[in-house]
Amino acid sequence: MAKKRKRTDVPAEAAGAEKPDDSAPERPPRTLFGFKEPAPDAEAAPAEAGSAVAPFRNKEKVLITCSRRITYRYRHLMQDILSLLPHAKKDSKVESKQSKGSALNELLELRSCSSCLFFECRKQKDLYLWMVKSPGGPSIKFLVNAVHTMEELKLTGNHLKGSRPLITFSTNFDEQPHWKLVKEMITQIFATPKDHRKAKPFHDHVFAFSIVDGHVWFRNYQISVPHNEIDKVDKGGLDKMTLIEVGPRFCLNPIKIFGGSFGGPTWYENPYYISPNQIRALEKRQKAGKYAKKVKAKVRRKMHEMENTLEPDEFAELWKGE
Amino acid sequence: MVGLAREEALAHDEVIMDDADSDVEVSDSEDDSGEEAQATPSENAIYNKEAILEKLEDIAWPKNVDWMHKLTIEHDQGGKVDVNDDLARELAFYTQALDGTRQAFEKLQSMKVRFLRPTDYYAEMVKTDAHMHKIKGRLLSEKRRIEEAEERKKAREAKKIAKEVQAEKNKQRAKDKKEQIESVKKWRKQRQQGGFAKGNDDVPDLNFEGEEGFKQSKKKRPGVSPGDRSGGLAKRGKEGKNRRSRDAKFGHGGRKGLKKQNTAETTNDFRSYKGGESQTKKRKRS
Repeated sequence: MAKKRKRTDVPAEAAGAEKPDDSAPERPPRTLFGFKEPAPDAEAAPAEAGSAVAPFRNKEKVLITCSRRITYRYRHLMQDILSLLPHAKKDSKVESKQSKGSALNELLELRSCSSCLFFECRKQKDLYLWMVKSPGGPSIKFLVNAVHTMEELKLTGNHLKGSRPLITFSTNFDEQPHWKLVKEMITQIFATPKDHRKAKPFHDHVFAFSIVDGHVWFRNYQISVPHNEIDKVDKGGLDKMTLIEVGPRFCLNPIKIFGGSFGGPTWYENPYYISPNQIRALEKRQKAGKYAKKVKAKVRRKMHEMENTLEPDEFAELWKGE
Repeated sequence: MVGLAREEALAHDEVIMDDADSDVEVSDSEDDSGEEAQATPSENAIYNKEAILEKLEDIAWPKNVDWMHKLTIEHDQGGKVDVNDDLARELAFYTQALDGTRQAFEKLQSMKVRFLRPTDYYAEMVKTDAHMHKIKGRLLSEKRRIEEAEERKKAREAKKIAKEVQAEKNKQRAKDKKEQIESVKKWRKQRQQGGFAKGNDDVPDLNFEGEEGFKQSKKKRPGVSPGDRSGGLAKRGKEGKNRRSRDAKFGHGGRKGLKKQNTAETTNDFRSYKGGESQTKKRKRS
């Protein structure tokens, strides 16, 4: 593991221009699970009037892995997501036998990550994405569709690597409990922690998560707005703001939500979900039915002709002699 | 993969109901073969709302967390977005992102946070410079292709118009020629009829119609007579601008096809017959 910097150095060494340090009372003593705020009586309540009793520190760390036999498109998608999240770590490929349950949990513990994005590729055609929160957190399995990587030349935008994104959600995330859970997990995984070492200071890109037709669609745009100063947009500049797509793009179809990480009791099953295998089988069955239908139609025609015989045509013999 | 999304979307459309209630499902799709696969899961779909909400409370960040940590904005989608209409869908996402960014920027501005990247800030970008170069090349080539297509279209139109104009001009010229001949004939007839009583009126008064008068023909070689086979180049005066150097470079312009002719001059021209004795010798041998 990298050498841990002294806590006092971190605020001063934020890369690039420094952000004025808001809140920042004395940091509480660091605990092993510093992600949740420590119990209020554990630390001396600071005398300053801070907004929170104990300041909140986002110590999220995401582990990104994939299964073996992943295809190039999905591997590039994984690498793109890795570059979007500076608080993510990449790990080597996981054997398919190990991909269920315990081995991945152990891996998470080993790398001391609090959440995981696991890309599982099946039959070299279907990509499943697991979003998991580490110790005992819920896990969600998605089917990934409509993948476009950042490499595509039609996606022309670009932004700072490691800059913190603005995240927009559509309001239908708040309608149902399972969407609320999805929203919370997305926020925690995709939002770059504020004082992360690799985080860059400016905000120049925005994520858009929306629910359309029961799928979660992801888009990443670069913000271009005319400005001369770094803390103020030009007058009327907000109206001239344009977004240029950076990529990647994907569409998530939730399959199941489990109570534990990589397993546990099923809490939610998507009733509209049809597995890609079933879809392919359906198509094949439809194609297979074509010949049978043709034969049936022929037989039916014959029966029909036999039952309703035509009257003999008067003119049938007319040209026979010639 | 997009194809797969389409299939799923289509299959979903048959049983689609509002997102609101996923428990009470009645799947009445016309697709008989798929019904068995769809009906059972939708009736038995597990949905443990309480457990989900409980866990949500567990993992969620504290409620009073500073917005600067999350940077999330909610945006109302408005009406239902049609999944299969690509343009509408992308537009919906775009407006969501745009609206969200506007709100976020207003907040950031009010917080006096430095959030806009200055133009001289150079740091590693998420796409490499080489890649951006490729993108630029592609955009430029597309632009060029469009422009070329437009130019070709314009040239085609212009050619059509030019052709029409040319036809008009030719017609006009023919008409003028006819008129002039007619007028001369008329004058002659008049003269004949009127006898020579008009006196020595040699000069025909051609200005009947009040034209501008005889116009010099605009042909490029006015001095060339029709019977001249050399095209006016046989007799040329003083050499023009570095005529000799141009001749050396591009060959001579004149003497059009006059190299072999059976005229009086060539019959008496014995310049080419130099070695007369060798010729007779050759003949004797053969």
